[in-house]
Formats: sequence, structure tokens, C-alpha cells
Amino acid sequence: MNTVLIIDDSDINLTLIKALVQKLGECQPVLFENPLAALDWCRDHVPDLVIVDYMMPDMDGLRFIGAFRALHGRTEIPILMITANDQKDVRYEALLGGANDFLTKPIDRVEFSARARNMLSLRQGQKFLADRAQHLSELVEARTCEIRDRERELIFRISRAAEFRDPETGSHIQRMAHYSQIIARGLDLDAAAQKLILEAAPMHDVGKIGIPDYILLKPGRLTPEEFEVMKGHARLGHELLKDSHSEIMRAGAEVALSHHEKFDGSGYPRGLRGHAIPLFGRIVAVADVFDALTSERPYKKAWPLEDAVRFLEDGRGAHFDPLCVEAFLAGWDEVLDVRQRFQDEEVPMI
Amino acid sequence: MADAFVLNRGNILERLGGDEEIFAMMLDMYLQDLEANCASLDAALATGQPAAVQREAHTVKGLLATFSDESGAAAAYAVERQAKAGEMAGLAEAIAAVQARLREVAVVLAAARSAG
Repeated sequence: MNTVLIIDDSDINLTLIKALVQKLGECQPVLFENPLAALDWCRDHVPDLVIVDYMMPDMDGLRFIGAFRALHGRTEIPILMITANDQKDVRYEALLGGANDFLTKPIDRVEFSARARNMLSLRQGQKFLADRAQHLSELVEARTCEIRDRERELIFRISRAAEFRDPETGSHIQRMAHYSQIIARGLDLDAAAQKLILEAAPMHDVGKIGIPDYILLKPGRLTPEEFEVMKGHARLGHELLKDSHSEIMRAGAEVALSHHEKFDGSGYPRGLRGHAIPLFGRIVAVADVFDALTSERPYKKAWPLEDAVRFLEDGRGAHFDPLCVEAFLAGWDEVLDVRQRFQDEEVPMI
Repeated sequence: MADAFVLNRGNILERLGGDEEIFAMMLDMYLQDLEANCASLDAALATGQPAAVQREAHTVKGLLATFSDESGAAAAYAVERQAKAGEMAGLAEAIAAVQARLREVAVVLAAARSAG
């Protein structure tokens, strides 16, 4: 059903046009004698065709068209303007002002029907294209979501591959990723950055894939030479992920390279200091160390929470960025929720 | 007005696509709005504002043209043009003539309606 807005201060014209519109079929006429009242109606309703007289009190047809076109989303709606035969100058002005076609008084039914149908066909075409554009947009959105989901799954599985070769568990990467997000939120990073670190943090140790088993799985303490090899996982992870088209992979590369840097410059692999360490690296350093300390491993018991908190506090400005520690502790209730949600026996997806 | 109004039913119906129903409805509306239209012309003249006279004369011109009254429409158009030019002198007489024409047309239309 097409909604046809008719504005004419003459009763007889309104009635005539209304009757002609009804004869078109599939049309619902909406009548206004007053153009200002019609404009008010147009703020909440979208007609499929506007038929407006030129000469009216309060606001003439030209001014109505200008005001109507200025409303949001009304630039394409067809407008037929009713003029007298002698008003050529008005017609030119109306065409420039946004009218699509004209009706001449006295109104001729054949002419009226042809012009009105043309305008309604135009409107149907516009609606079809708009619907199609909307449909395509939804399709692209759905496909993009699928690709994003696949990307996230892939990242999770890559991260798990590294963790499988390590005494650490799948739950560790979930917890440290969520701790990282808590810190990002505490630092007032925007929602996109919070989501990005949640998705990128699991890749922090992906470089362990390239560390020989006799070092990675060695139950005892590493020799200095072995530790040097072990430290190589930061660069290996970066090599694996860098230069990707994926923003998440690129963020993962940064995290992999920088999460063992220390705020005082004593970390590795580059010995960066303070804010020269990428923010995501500084955030993940806190999250990763806290979870490692508070988790049980074959070679160690889990630290009590208060001891781990003290370790973070003592490491402010030395190992850790003080602001990241502060943000982590400020989100303590959420930290406890994450610990509860991701326990070591279960490995849910992010 | 030189010539008397003659209802050209065939011409009007042709313009309305032969729709008797719409024709009858318009005829009723004309008769119903007759005095209001005459009063609007008087009111516009009383304001002394040419734009008001121009607008009412324009409406009456369209109304008479709808009933194929070319002479009446021409008289209303003359008023409209004179008002547009801002010349108020002599307009009262011209408006009175247009009002008389509106009433003359009404008499013919009323007779046509009675005749069915």
C-alpha cells in the first residue's frame, strides 16, 4: 500500500485528488489543508508520494518542498506539484527546489493517473534498491561475522597449540586474556581496544611452538644457555604473527614480542624501558604473571592471592607499569569472577 | 461577464475519465463551498493586502476552470494578476463580478444536479 500525501488548501481539490488517488488502487491518501500541519506529520511519517498545491496560505508549495526535502531521509521521495498553466516561472523554481513533476489545473484524470503512477513506480524502484542494499549490507555483515568468528577460533587454536607443548593450560590463556581486558578497561581504553586485547592476548606465548622440547618441557631449572633459547619465544611469536592483514594478528605479534619486557628496562628481548614498551605488552605482562603465580603447575603450588597481589605491588615501576597494576587491582571483583569462570579443567571459547 | 455559463458536462467528464461519481461529488462540493468562497474573496479585499486577494482569486480561478468555465476563470485570473501587480483600485468591482459568476455557475450546477 502506497501512502500518498495530498496538500491543498482548497476542499474541492483535496476531495478530487483524494478520489483520483483512490482510483489508482493500492494507495492510501492522507489529506492536509494546511502545509505546516502536513510538514509536522512528515516528521514522523514517510509518504511514498507527495502531491502539493503551489498557492497556499502560511507556506506556499515551493517553501513546503524545501522544508520537506530538508527532513532526514526525504530527499528522494517523489513530489508532484500542482500549478496553473501560466505559472512557468514557478515550475522552473519548483524543479530546481526538488519537485519531480507537475500537475496542471484543472486536473485531468488521465494525466493525473499517468504522472502519479510514474512517480509511484519511481518510489517502488527506490524502495527495491534500498531493500536490496539493506539485504546486501546484512549479508556482508553476516559473512564478516563468520570470518571474524573463524579468525578468533583459529587464533584460539594456534594459542592452544603452543600451550599443548607447555605445562600451562587452556584456561590460563582464557584467564590472562580476560585479565588483560580488565586492565584495558581500567585504563579507559575504548571498547574496540578492550576487545582487541582480549582476542590478541592469548597469542602471547605462541612462539613456544619453536622451542625445543628438552628446554620447554624440562622439569628442572634451565641453564643460562637454555634460558637464552627459551627467551627466543618472544621473537619467534612475533615473526609468526607480524605483517598480517588481521588487526588481531598484528596486535598478537606486538604482545608476543613485548610481554616479557620490564618497566625498568631489565626484561627481554629488547630491554625496552617504561612507555617505550608497547601498552598491550605492559598490560599482558601483569595479566600473565598474575595468572602464572596463582595457578598450580606440576612443578609448583599456586600462590595465595594476597602473595600474588603483593608481588604485583612490589613490582610496580620495576617489573610492571604501575598504572597497569593499579587498573588490575581496581577491577579485583572482576578478576575473581574470571578465576571462577575459567577453572583449569574446562576450556571454553572466548 | 459577456457570456452566460453553460455546463459542458461532456468536457468535464472527459477530464475526469468519465467518472460520474467524482463529477457528482465535485458538484456537491462546489455548491457546499459557494458562500465560503465568496466570503473569502470579501475578506481578502477587506485586508487591503494584494497578496491575500491574489491567493483567493487564484483559488477561484482553479475552481471555475475545474467546471470548464473559461470566461469565469479568465475574470478571476484578471483579478489575480491585478492583485499581483499591487493595483487595488477597481478590484472591488472586479471581485463582485467574479462572485456573481460563482453564484451563476452554482445555479446551473444545482439545476444539473436536480436533473440527475
